[in-house]
Amino acid sequence: MAQHRKRPWTFYVLATFFALFVLFLYGPMLAIYILSFQGPTGGLTFPMNGVSLHWFQALFEQQRTGDFSGSFSRSILLAFLVMICTVTFSVMAGLAFRRRFFGASAIFYMAVASLVMPGLFLSLGIGLIFRVIDMPTNWFSSALGAQLTWSLPFGLLIMFAVLSRFDRSYEEAARDLGATNRQTLQYVVLPILFPGLIAVALFGFTLSYDEFPRTLLTVGPGNTLPLEIYAMTTTVTSPALYALGTVTTVVSFAAIILSLGSIAIIQWRRGGRFRK
Amino acid sequence: MAQTGGIELANLTKRFGDTLAIDSVSMTVPPGTYCCLLGPSGCGKTTLLRMIAGHDEPTAGDVRIDGQSVLGLPPAERGTAMMFQSYALFPHLTCLDNVAFNLKVRGVAKAARRKQAHEMLDRVQMDGFADRVPAELSGGQQQRIALARSLITNPKVLLLDEPLSALDEFLRLQMRGNLRQMQNEFGITFVHVTHTQMEAIAVADLVVVMDHGQIDQADRARAVYDTPRTTYVARFIGGQNVLSGKVVAVENGAAILDDARGNRFTVPTGDTAPGTGETRYLSIRRDRIEMEKLADPSAARDGTVNSVVGKVWMTEYQGTWVKVNITLPDGEEFVANIDDGRFFANPVHEGDMVLARWPAESVHPLEHRESSFDTSRGGMHT
Amino acid sequence: MKVPSSVVPYIQVAPLALVLLVFFGIPLVTVVVVSFFDYVNFQTVPAFMFYNYEEVFSSGLTVTLYLTMLKYSVIVWLITLIVGFTVSYFLVFHVRSLLWKIFFFLVCTVPFWTSNIIRMISWIPVLGRNGLVNQTLMGLGLIDEPLDFLLFSDFSVIVAYVHLFTLFMVVTLFNSMARIDPAILEAAVDAGASRWQVITQVVIPLTKTGIALGSIFVVTLVMGDFFVVKIMSGGQSSSAVYAMWNEIAMLQYPSAAASAVILLLVVVLMAAAILRVVDVRKELSG
Repeated sequence: MAQHRKRPWTFYVLATFFALFVLFLYGPMLAIYILSFQGPTGGLTFPMNGVSLHWFQALFEQQRTGDFSGSFSRSILLAFLVMICTVTFSVMAGLAFRRRFFGASAIFYMAVASLVMPGLFLSLGIGLIFRVIDMPTNWFSSALGAQLTWSLPFGLLIMFAVLSRFDRSYEEAARDLGATNRQTLQYVVLPILFPGLIAVALFGFTLSYDEFPRTLLTVGPGNTLPLEIYAMTTTVTSPALYALGTVTTVVSFAAIILSLGSIAIIQWRRGGRFRK
Repeated sequence: MAQTGGIELANLTKRFGDTLAIDSVSMTVPPGTYCCLLGPSGCGKTTLLRMIAGHDEPTAGDVRIDGQSVLGLPPAERGTAMMFQSYALFPHLTCLDNVAFNLKVRGVAKAARRKQAHEMLDRVQMDGFADRVPAELSGGQQQRIALARSLITNPKVLLLDEPLSALDEFLRLQMRGNLRQMQNEFGITFVHVTHTQMEAIAVADLVVVMDHGQIDQADRARAVYDTPRTTYVARFIGGQNVLSGKVVAVENGAAILDDARGNRFTVPTGDTAPGTGETRYLSIRRDRIEMEKLADPSAARDGTVNSVVGKVWMTEYQGTWVKVNITLPDGEEFVANIDDGRFFANPVHEGDMVLARWPAESVHPLEHRESSFDTSRGGMHT
Repeated sequence: MKVPSSVVPYIQVAPLALVLLVFFGIPLVTVVVVSFFDYVNFQTVPAFMFYNYEEVFSSGLTVTLYLTMLKYSVIVWLITLIVGFTVSYFLVFHVRSLLWKIFFFLVCTVPFWTSNIIRMISWIPVLGRNGLVNQTLMGLGLIDEPLDFLLFSDFSVIVAYVHLFTLFMVVTLFNSMARIDPAILEAAVDAGASRWQVITQVVIPLTKTGIALGSIFVVTLVMGDFFVVKIMSGGQSSSAVYAMWNEIAMLQYPSAAASAVILLLVVVLMAAAILRVVDVRKELSG
């Protein structure tokens, strides 16, 4: 099918532009990953003064760089919590929105508004409420709720996109073949939608893991990782900051590769072409 | 063995909001019949099928299978199985698991259900594809899997929604024969929805022609083609010229009609003799028309009954016959299908004035029915 | 257990709706209410007064802040629009293989799933006085002195914004453009349109929805920004949200709430203005 038509000159101009854009996108990030392996005497900029894991070790020395291990495990746990809630609630809501029901558009607009709401506004509001009802803010209560207002709208929008391509006759066929509602959901709907659910999970996890303004006033006594990094930008002037950035990004990339990889494998096994 | 799978519809009605999709339809499909629901899109044929299947509930009326009302029963308990237009094969399951799905949800043990599914795949000659996923199959193969998946439920009635529409022309003809053969083999009732006239006439014992949520005619294929009941059926099935005229006299069981173009036709009156001045409709099969070139078009008509005069605007060679399109003076179209030997012995050309006539016994009376169906679209070209 | 089918959607949507109500709806109302409260010695006192708003509006600082943010929004919006459009256009209409298309698209979106703060601070070793850019330029002999305007300036703020937010334009524009049937472009070329005319007469009108959605994202993100301005300007400029944060730090909640309400109104008005130009809902349903 590939037609080897001659490419127009604009192709080469645009391809160069795209390459520069990718360099712009990834170049600086690459710089800090490299600099995080800076030797013990190295500074915040190039050149490299030797190569070492010194600054990664420094991360674990609490007095120098703050509570890295604590915030790291807190962030991961919170991200998993947000991920599970986001997948469950978005899938349920997505299924609900396939029918007309009273209040559907109100809920939809609330989700969209929640998406564009400045994060600190929300943080402030939730912080105030917890003060009013005299409950201490904590990462597993107020911060979890605050992050969900950000991840759920994304999850819902992805579910809309996923379900708009879902053929309802799959469900009718299942029912025709004797499946109960629960069996239809378990054996047909959820497995077919599974790649979409992974995408929702990826958003849920990473949006929480990197969330900053919404968490700021709701996290309570213990910091999450992004808050820790933010604090470090003003206090830490060593490559330890970059080391933290590298560690954080490794986790993000692991999540991305795991989810996109499994989506690709599922699509490949189903023999369908890759659809976006 | 007494066959099962008889369907009775009694005053079946379906409304979607303000729209009346099915308007009090009653009909009977005897057990073991291959029945086609035929009509243009939007005529309600798929809605009717879905109500029999239990995927839509009627607003009023009853659906009975083998004498028992199935209203309110879930699809799987009606003794019906449905094959969807898109086949709806589960993309995440192999062919074997697709076919075994019904057994799985009924709690049949794995080994037993795999064995049964293999047997069923074998019956549709697809056992070699058991471990493939649907996306790896061609359209025709997918259809066989869909068929196997439906048949494994041991249905009394198989409901097929446009089963051939996703296939290309060649496969369509092949699978058409295949469906008919399966129906014979399993001896169950098939209800097949289609908008293609040829398809219905080729496979069905019983053709049900629908329009506007109503049944216009339910009859054997030949009867629907040869003796359409209404002007709508005649136009939709095609192969007919539909004419009308005002009654001027009744003689020997035939009405004599004059139309606005100055032509005179006869039409059998049947049981009720029409009064003078009434409009009557008739049809003549295109292949019953004889045609001759008029040497002098301006010459006065010799008063031949059962003929029209018009100008040939197009001839289409069809292999065994030639389709001659004639425009009547008021712009109406008239078609004569002339056997190719006879045509080329005495050919006509575009622009020729011709006289087309037919024997009185080829005339078939019609009831008049208004329809949304656009005549320019349709009809089989026979 | 048999649940009437008309109740099912309500049960399904309940968790999402409840979370949004409790953690979005109620906080929103609370902030609005508190913005009319009084505060005395770090204590918030229920009241109904416009003092907090008067204070915000009477401050020359507010005007400066919003003008700065508006300036950043417009510049960043323009750059991200041009870059995002060019990149999407290349991916949709010039990359022929579907697999490459998806791969390149993912390359553009992967940073979305990584930390914004990390991506922002990654500019420091690049743009700094001893950073990569200055080192390179000096190495090439193009400059003798390091360029100071690169980091902790308007320039670095805009670079960081563009870096963080362009992908929102790419994603929305890519989706819009991918829906265009390539045959339409060929038809336009057949009808005698030049390359440029195809873009202005066909592609841009058909991607209006994507442009509008991407613009809303970029503008609201810049206006709602908390830390980019603060860090990347080296403390010279401040964002509206950062000013609010200062008030919160001083426990002046009513005052912070008033600032928050004003910020929200500005953002909503800007989004509404964009939606007035393009009816997103109408085109989304298609």
